[in-house]
Amino acid sequence: MEREETLLDVRNLKTYFFTDDGVVKAVDGMSFTIRKGEVLGLVGESGCGKSVASLSIMQLVEPPGKIVEGEIIFKGEDLLKKTPEQMRKIRGSEIAMIFQEPMTSLNPVYTIGNQIMEAILIHQDLSEEEAKKRTIELLRLVGIPEPERRFNQYPHELSGGMRQRVMIAMAMSCNPDLLISDEATTALDVTIQAQILELMKDLQRKTGMAILFITHDLALVAEMAHSVAVAYTGKIVEYGDVYQIFKKPRHPYTYGLLSSVPSLKTEKTKTPLPAIEGMVPNPYKMPSGCHFNPRCPFATERCRKEMPELAEIEPGHLVRCFHPVAVEKEAVS
Amino acid sequence: MIPLFLGVALVTFAVLSLVGDPFAQMAINPRIKPEDIARLRHAWGFDLPWYLRFFKWFWSMITGNWGVSIFAGGKPVTELVARAIAYTLRFSLASLILAFVVGVPIGIYSALHQYTFFDYFFTFFAFFGMSMPTFWFGFILMMIFGLKLGWLPLGGVMTPGIETAPLFARILDQAKYMVLPVIVLSLFSMGSWMRYARSSMLEVIRQDYVRTARAKGLPERTVIFKHALRNALIPIITLLGLSLPGIISGATITETVFSIPGMGRLTVDAMLSNDYPVAMVCLLLESSLLIVGNLIADLLYAVVDPRIRYS
Repeated sequence: MEREETLLDVRNLKTYFFTDDGVVKAVDGMSFTIRKGEVLGLVGESGCGKSVASLSIMQLVEPPGKIVEGEIIFKGEDLLKKTPEQMRKIRGSEIAMIFQEPMTSLNPVYTIGNQIMEAILIHQDLSEEEAKKRTIELLRLVGIPEPERRFNQYPHELSGGMRQRVMIAMAMSCNPDLLISDEATTALDVTIQAQILELMKDLQRKTGMAILFITHDLALVAEMAHSVAVAYTGKIVEYGDVYQIFKKPRHPYTYGLLSSVPSLKTEKTKTPLPAIEGMVPNPYKMPSGCHFNPRCPFATERCRKEMPELAEIEPGHLVRCFHPVAVEKEAVS
Repeated sequence: MIPLFLGVALVTFAVLSLVGDPFAQMAINPRIKPEDIARLRHAWGFDLPWYLRFFKWFWSMITGNWGVSIFAGGKPVTELVARAIAYTLRFSLASLILAFVVGVPIGIYSALHQYTFFDYFFTFFAFFGMSMPTFWFGFILMMIFGLKLGWLPLGGVMTPGIETAPLFARILDQAKYMVLPVIVLSLFSMGSWMRYARSSMLEVIRQDYVRTARAKGLPERTVIFKHALRNALIPIITLLGLSLPGIISGATITETVFSIPGMGRLTVDAMLSNDYPVAMVCLLLESSLLIVGNLIADLLYAVVDPRIRYS
C-alpha cells in the first residue's frame, strides 16, 4: 500500500505504575507510528505493555499508573498536552476502543440501544430519533440480525460474539479515524473470532479507518495487519511490515515467537515444538542491558551491559538488537 | 409465604408455651386462693394442651380478634401494639432516613476519593459509629447534652402536660425528645450504610463497563452517576428492603436507655411476663414484616437489575 500521512505517532512513551512494592515500567520508551488507514499489529506476551500502551493513548490509565514521559501525536497534535475535556471529546469520536471481555464490557443495566445511542448523542449533534435510527443502522452494519428488536435488549440477552459486535457498533458510531482493538477477539470461540475479524477487516476497508490491533496471537496479526510492532517488556523490539516480520524476522525474540507457532510441517517431522527458554522477567527486577538477554541464544557480554537502540536494518524494518538473526523464515500461516 | 408465616406462628407459640403459664407466679402469693388461680387458668385456656390453645388463639386472631393483654389491665392487644408502633416508627423511620441519606452519599464519595483524608476520616467515623455500644453512647450523650448543657431532655417522648399546648409547640417539644435517640440509632446504621455504599461503589468503578463508558468519551459525571451508581445501588437497595422489619421491631436497648415506650420494650416486657397474646402479636408482626421486606427487596432487585427480571 502507498505511503500516506501519519495519523498517530507515539514517541518514547513511558507509562509507569507506582506501586507499594516499587515502580513497574509497563511501557518504557515505546515508539510506533500508524498511518491513515493502516492496520498496525502490536504483538507480545502478557505483561509486555501492549494494553497499557493502548490505554495510554486513550489516557485511561488508572492510578497508580501514570504516563511519565513521551509524546502521542495524533493528527499533528500531542494528546498528552490536551486538557481532560479536549481529550474526552476525542475519545469515542476520533479514537474508539474495543476491549477483550465482551461479557463485562457492556453495562448490564442498560439496553444495548441506550449504550450505543449515548455515544452518538454525546459527540454528534443529533436528535434522539436520529440517533436511534443511526444506532439501528450501526447494528445492521455490524451484522446483528433484527436490529430493531436487539435495540431494546440487555447485554445478558446476547451471546459473547453478539456483544462484541455491539462494542464494535459503539466504536464505529462516530466514524473514528483510529480504532484500538485490545485483544478484542481473544475471549471468543475460534469461529466467532473469525467472523469478528472479518467484520473488522470489512469495516476498515469501507471506512478507511486505521486500526491498532493488539493481540498475542501471531496468526491474527498475519491475517489483519499491514505492519507489525513486536513488544517486549515495555519496548518495541522489532518493527516492520507484515512480510518483513513474518518472512525475515531479525530480532531473536520475534524469531523465537514465530518458531514456536505449530504448523503442519513440524508435526510431520516429529521434532518437539521449539519454545523460548525462560520466563518474562519480573517487572520489579529487569535484567541489565538488553531485557531479552537471559532468554536469548545469541546473547553476548555486550547484551548484558548495554540496551540496544531500535535501529533501521533495512528500509522500514527496525530491530532492537546487536546481533540480528540473519536466517530467512518460512511462511508460518 | 403463607406456609412460612404459619410455621413461624406455630414455632413461636410453642416456644412461648415452654416457659410455662403466667399464673404460676401467683401461687406464691398467700392472698390468692388456688381456686382463683385455677379459674384464671381455665379462662385463659392454660388447662388445655398448648397446641389446642394455639388453634383457639390462631382462630380468633385470623377472625380479627387479637385478644387482650393478660396483664396491663386487660387492654386490647391492638391498642397496646398500635401505641408502641407509633412511637417506634417515629424514631426508627427518622434514623433510617437520616442514616441512609447521609451514609450512602458519603460512602459513594469516599469510594470515588479512595485513600484521601476524607475517605480515612469517614472510615474512622463509620467504625466509630458501628462499634459504639448504644447504651454507653446513649448515656454519654444524655450526660453531655441533657445534664451538663441542659439543651435536650434526658428521655421519654414528650414533656408532661404538653398535650394541651398548641400543635406547633407540641411538635417542637416532641422533636426535642427525638434528637438524642435518633442520633444514637442512626449513627450505628449510618456506619454500615457508608461501608456498604463505599465497597459496592469501589467494586463497580473497577468494572470493564465503566472503562467502556469512559472510552466512549462520556463526561465523568455521566460515567459515575449513570453507569457506576446504578450498579452500585443494586445491593444497597436489597439491604434497604431487608432493614424494613427493623422499623417496626424497635431497638430495645435504645428504647430502654431513653425510656421510650416502643415496640422493642413492649415485646421484651411481654415475653418476660409471659403475656403471650401481646408477645405473639409483636413477634408475628415483626416476622411478617421480615417476610414482606424480603419480598420487597426481591421485587426492587428486579426493578433495578434487568438480569433478574422474571419472565
